[in-house]
Amino acid sequence: MSDDSLRPEDFAEAAGAAVADTEGKSFAEKTAVLAGNGLFGVTVSEEQGGLGLDLSFAIPIVGVAGKLQLRYPLVEQMLVAGALADHEIGAAIIAGEKTVAIAWQGTLEDRVATHATFATDADYVLVASGDGAALLDASSVKADADPSLDPEYPQYNLDLSGAQTIATLSAEEFASLKRQAKVLYGAFAAGAGEGAMDRAATHTVGRVQFGRPLSAKQTVRHTMARMKLLTETSFAGLQRAIADDEYGNARSVDTAFAGAVSNACFIVEKAIHLHGGMGFTWELPLHYSLRDVRKIDAAFSTGSEIQSIGRAFIAAA
Amino acid sequence: MTFNINVAIPDPTVDRSAYRAHARQWLAANLPAFMRADSPEYRSPSLDECRDWEEAMYRAGLAGMTWPKQYGGYGLTLREHLAVNKEIGALMMPESVGSVGKELAGPIIMAVGTEEQKQDFLPNILAMKKYWCQGFSEPEAGSDLVRLRTRAVQEGDSWRINGQKIWTSGAMKADYCLLLTRTGTVADKYKGLLMFAVPMDTPGIRVVPIKSIDGKESFAEVFFDDVVVPDSARLGAPDEGWSAAIRVLSIERATNRMYRPWRFEAELKMLVAAFKSDPELKHVLEDGYYQRRIGQIATEIDGLKGLIEQAVEQMAGGAPIGARGSLNKLFWSETHQAFAGFAYELVSQIKPSASPVALRAKQHFTNAYLFARAESIYAGVSEVQLDIIAQRILNLPKDL
Repeated sequence: MSDDSLRPEDFAEAAGAAVADTEGKSFAEKTAVLAGNGLFGVTVSEEQGGLGLDLSFAIPIVGVAGKLQLRYPLVEQMLVAGALADHEIGAAIIAGEKTVAIAWQGTLEDRVATHATFATDADYVLVASGDGAALLDASSVKADADPSLDPEYPQYNLDLSGAQTIATLSAEEFASLKRQAKVLYGAFAAGAGEGAMDRAATHTVGRVQFGRPLSAKQTVRHTMARMKLLTETSFAGLQRAIADDEYGNARSVDTAFAGAVSNACFIVEKAIHLHGGMGFTWELPLHYSLRDVRKIDAAFSTGSEIQSIGRAFIAAA
Repeated sequence: MTFNINVAIPDPTVDRSAYRAHARQWLAANLPAFMRADSPEYRSPSLDECRDWEEAMYRAGLAGMTWPKQYGGYGLTLREHLAVNKEIGALMMPESVGSVGKELAGPIIMAVGTEEQKQDFLPNILAMKKYWCQGFSEPEAGSDLVRLRTRAVQEGDSWRINGQKIWTSGAMKADYCLLLTRTGTVADKYKGLLMFAVPMDTPGIRVVPIKSIDGKESFAEVFFDDVVVPDSARLGAPDEGWSAAIRVLSIERATNRMYRPWRFEAELKMLVAAFKSDPELKHVLEDGYYQRRIGQIATEIDGLKGLIEQAVEQMAGGAPIGARGSLNKLFWSETHQAFAGFAYELVSQIKPSASPVALRAKQHFTNAYLFARAESIYAGVSEVQLDIIAQRILNLPKDL
């Protein structure tokens, strides 16, 4: 797209409407709505059927999906559509004809992969293989749900013994996909945090205790302010991470990702706390965001990611 | 101590990378080793040495970037200001001794001063010929400036000032005080607030230094007993001047010492390098706990960089900064306070027999830890920043 007047936030608004339109729909119906709005090909060139936008546009789009608690592998479709844009599978994903899940841990060679959500809904599963990755036919993979964190949308452990490879990604392509994954999952987590913060703000304004709204109490106001600070920091950090540094080199996205995920955990947990007993129930939807953020946290082992950042800093200093 | 000030400053509108390279190369080539806090040759520079260094920086195009050319500045944008600040942050150089003038008095004078005042004061601030101190806080009016009592009464063409200021940084060295007074009483709240540029050698001004937690006497109480200044010392009209100053202050909160995250990063590198420099200390960095803490601090520093760069882009695009400066202030102060606490935990393991680099780090971070206690207090305490964010950004009501 060459129109310089386009702003990422405008796309986020349109994406928000599409995400809202998926409410209550099946996996296939959600696929149709999101693909119909062009969301899977946001970063794919127009010649290849996408919208031709850069990641700075994808961040608010995925952010609004997190905010509105989209229970669908939007990030996975965007990533694989981009990585296989010159392949017919990429075009099929952009069009919503095929869907994909990603197993973030394990390898094809180990015959075991884990942390794949929506693996039983998707047509393909992407798994690390060698230095790159392999796109597998999902029907050739045995999936066992691990419902401990999220019984409705569990992570799956995959038995890859009989897996059939449909396409492969080179080491370079897979590294690029993982870099983008950190940016987009970071944005999803930041959005989930923002949504939880907004819910908490609405609740604290309306909930009266001891004759005053909760929002009048300083400790509540300050907690909310910290949630806002971390939300802003996450999005600003992600946008900075995808811009080249002062010398024209690509930046690492690791700190922005780790920061966004840990900030989101803090924000969602605080939002649950601020809702009191209701926050602990299934009736209030905040738990969905907690589960989604923690699934990202687990898939990427954010704790050891932060230690890796520390090790890298030490090595470079 | 000599500096190369006869340099051609690249035009950033023609070549931004050459401009940035100039800043990087000039600073690296000219900053004396004894002024580098990470050098074993470091010693505390004198006021005159700091002044000479800052004047040289200015002559080399590395101060006053955004000030108009007619007042001694370089007429550039916040983007160049940020580019230079990244390079300033990357070197462990002394904090500015002229920051009150450059970051507070100067921008306020530019906003509310007369043309004569601008010509008089602004070039001297950049050239480090005159120091300023900030006379805002009072014993009963710190964060809550509405309670300030220092009174200014007009007597013909002059004003008589009586009152007391406190926490006045740099008062002992200052040539001028940016003084906030009121023309009425405390009951008037924000009405009748009036600012002056008061020469510190005016009869009736008494400066009493305060010893701070780090053992220094960098701020003071300042007493004003029947201090008479001409009307020409007034900065703006009553009310008008202060409301304009508030707008300036909100911008300043977001843009002053923009180099902080890059300086924090340089400090973190200094800390790690100190432990790597000594065979007896090296193993500490293999501990997963310390690796995670360093990773966490590096993550927060990058987040702070993001906040600052975002604010610069928004302001460069003409968007008002509003209350967003409070986000930056809160984040940098708490990030650095936590970092300083962690650094102290580490350097307290350094023994007298350690390497010179490690011993230098121990001294630096012990002082940094003590000084960091002030960071969540000055320029608006954290609780006030949190209130501003809750009130003005989140719009959380305080009552039904």
